[in-house]
Amino acid sequence: MTGSRYSRQSFLGEFSEDAISDCIIGVVGLGGGGSHVVQQLAHIGFQRYVIYDDDIVEESNLNRLVGATSVDALAETPKLHLAKQMIFGLQPNAEVVAHACRWQERPDPLHRCHIAIGCVDSFKGREELENECRRHLIHYIDIGMDVHGTNPPVIGGQVILSSPGGPCMRCMGFLTEARLAEEGRRYGDAGGRPQVIWPNGVLASTAVGLAIDLTCNWTCQRRTREYLSYDGNEFTMKPSLLLRNLEGLACPHFSDTEVGPPILIEL
Amino acid sequence: MEIRLSGQLYNQVVADLIRPHPFAAERVGFLIGRIGSTSGNPAAVLLTQYRTIPNDHYLDDPKVGARIGPKALATAMQLAHSGRISGEGIIHVHLHGHRGETSMSKTDQREIPGLLPGFRAVNPSAPHGIIILSLDHGSGWIWSPKATGIAQVDLISVIGAPVKVFRRGRV
Repeated sequence: MTGSRYSRQSFLGEFSEDAISDCIIGVVGLGGGGSHVVQQLAHIGFQRYVIYDDDIVEESNLNRLVGATSVDALAETPKLHLAKQMIFGLQPNAEVVAHACRWQERPDPLHRCHIAIGCVDSFKGREELENECRRHLIHYIDIGMDVHGTNPPVIGGQVILSSPGGPCMRCMGFLTEARLAEEGRRYGDAGGRPQVIWPNGVLASTAVGLAIDLTCNWTCQRRTREYLSYDGNEFTMKPSLLLRNLEGLACPHFSDTEVGPPILIEL
Repeated sequence: MEIRLSGQLYNQVVADLIRPHPFAAERVGFLIGRIGSTSGNPAAVLLTQYRTIPNDHYLDDPKVGARIGPKALATAMQLAHSGRISGEGIIHVHLHGHRGETSMSKTDQREIPGLLPGFRAVNPSAPHGIIILSLDHGSGWIWSPKATGIAQVDLISVIGAPVKVFRRGRV
């Protein structure tokens, strides 16, 4: 089989290669979800990246961190380094702005993104990232998974697209005061949450699919909102019914005119 | 430097500008935008609103594609003045009905940049500028608050579905 590098994805559209390479994409969090995301973005042809992660590879990451090896755990390789290695291995001419810190410490590079994919652990982290994306006119795609209960354990997750002018994660009922308060109460609890590789893969692949649709519009759906619920026990991804009820409603949480850094007005 | 707007706002602008006018050959509008940087480095101007110009605010001048009259200019100056607190400036926008990258015509060069010093005089702390759209591209110029003149932007990003990136020098 011969052909150019992207000949098998030409159905994405005549100008899809340019559209993908022109798009500045951000990935916040390069762990179980983010490592999948970066790998797929690099394969499909993204050339401009803004990535953030301040963590290192540990033994407990090796069950799910794509690209990590036992040597990385021993060497305490930064996750950022693995992501850069993945990108440059596939796209040697890529422009990668990489920061080994929380995005809040260096927000300006994030503001350059056209699409940001959030692979963060907390509801508070998601809320802050969505706020920043709204204020800087960035499509925000959120992914996350969790495991609840026992006998049997239940795997759930979500992929959400929150776009400027559309419903936000509060409108969609995903971010609630109760969830944020509960998380605040549990802050500092010892122990990591259960995480496994295959749900992360499903969620990350769906997020990358949404990012490709946002750049190429190959489905012709012109989607600017999405809330997909993952049922890891049934192996299904279904649109949330909540989103259907928001059709035609303006988001009351973000005004179209409140963009850029907040300003203080003396009264 | 980048100019960025949502897909909804872009669609609103294009839908307004492509409407035929009773006598003018093209339409003009005003966008409102502000600097979107936390570091003070004016990397992007984020556009928030669009103001259409009513038909009767144009002057009938067959020598140019569109000439706006004193009422439209007064509205723009008022918008510039209102933006002093919020740091919002005025971007003059019109559309050239062809495909590919576009630029200022000789008439545009003669007529439009001359508006910006007026906006700056009223509101010197905000970015003011010019956007010229084509049917599938766009070019922009911004006079940043601390700059001594207008500069062409590197890209205009439309955050819609799909994302459109109008990169300078790329058709």
